[in-house]
Amino acid sequence: MSTQFVYVTYIRATPEKVFDALTKPEFTTRYWAGTTQRSDWTKGATLGVHAPDGRLWDSGAVLEIDPPRKLVMRWLNEGLAELKAEGPTIVTYELEQQGSVTKLTLTQTSPVADSKVIGMMSQGWPAVLAGLKSLLETGEPIAEFAEWPDGM
Amino acid sequence: MAGSAFVYVTYIRTTPEKLWQALTTPEFQRKFWFGMHQDSDFRKGSPWRLVFEDGRVADDGEVLEADPPNRLVLKWRNRLRPELTEEGDARCEMALETVGDATRLTITHSIPRDNSQLIEAVSGGWPKILASLKSLLETGEALDSIHSRVKA
Repeated sequence: MSTQFVYVTYIRATPEKVFDALTKPEFTTRYWAGTTQRSDWTKGATLGVHAPDGRLWDSGAVLEIDPPRKLVMRWLNEGLAELKAEGPTIVTYELEQQGSVTKLTLTQTSPVADSKVIGMMSQGWPAVLAGLKSLLETGEPIAEFAEWPDGM
Repeated sequence: MAGSAFVYVTYIRTTPEKLWQALTTPEFQRKFWFGMHQDSDFRKGSPWRLVFEDGRVADDGEVLEADPPNRLVLKWRNRLRPELTEEGDARCEMALETVGDATRLTITHSIPRDNSQLIEAVSGGWPKILASLKSLLETGEALDSIHSRVKA
């Protein structure tokens, strides 16, 4: 039995802006623990999520991409051995414009029952996406989540 | 596992005191809660109602716990749709905690019955309400387009 986390939020910005904020370093370094995502963002391209010191924290690949509506990635934690041991998950972003607001649906699925990765990420995603929403709506992230945690 | 629950976490750049005020004061509630407001003095044992602009009662119940600005627990029964009323009393817990210069808000809405239609219904509503509340407190403006879509 698999494990899944789903999170929905609404952001006062265009889908194009939200898609850029989820994928481009000039945005992610500001709200997502200082991390940078490296990818060509084409179907089949590799994906690397890097800590501010350059370490590879997550690896993966782009499985499906349709900017600014949908992005599906294979996503494997590389930074913590017990999470890496569970194997890759699938992360999906779906964006839908509703008037002046974009509905963002994040889904992360692991084929593992009671997945530790999903347990941990279900704590992490609300912080990441709250910081994204604050950055796009106010120009400032949530300070607590903007920088790489000490000791990680 | 018996029962159904919806859990949602968000982070809002405000203090627990201001967030508590927004959650419990009609002039704030009307801005982010689909034009609805709540009728209660938010003291333990007091009645609680969620009321539409036209006066219809959507849900009602009782304040089970109130510890401003940290924790509010409501007994919650739907009064709008007979099939939801028939499911009986749900419990809605709101927990507020300071995280740096932000407040973590955790909503846990649960009912002791499997496959609850009430929990399914509120699972769609909470992300809209809380995204709009976050925008209101951080920018001064709620998410109007979400508001009008639900009323339509």
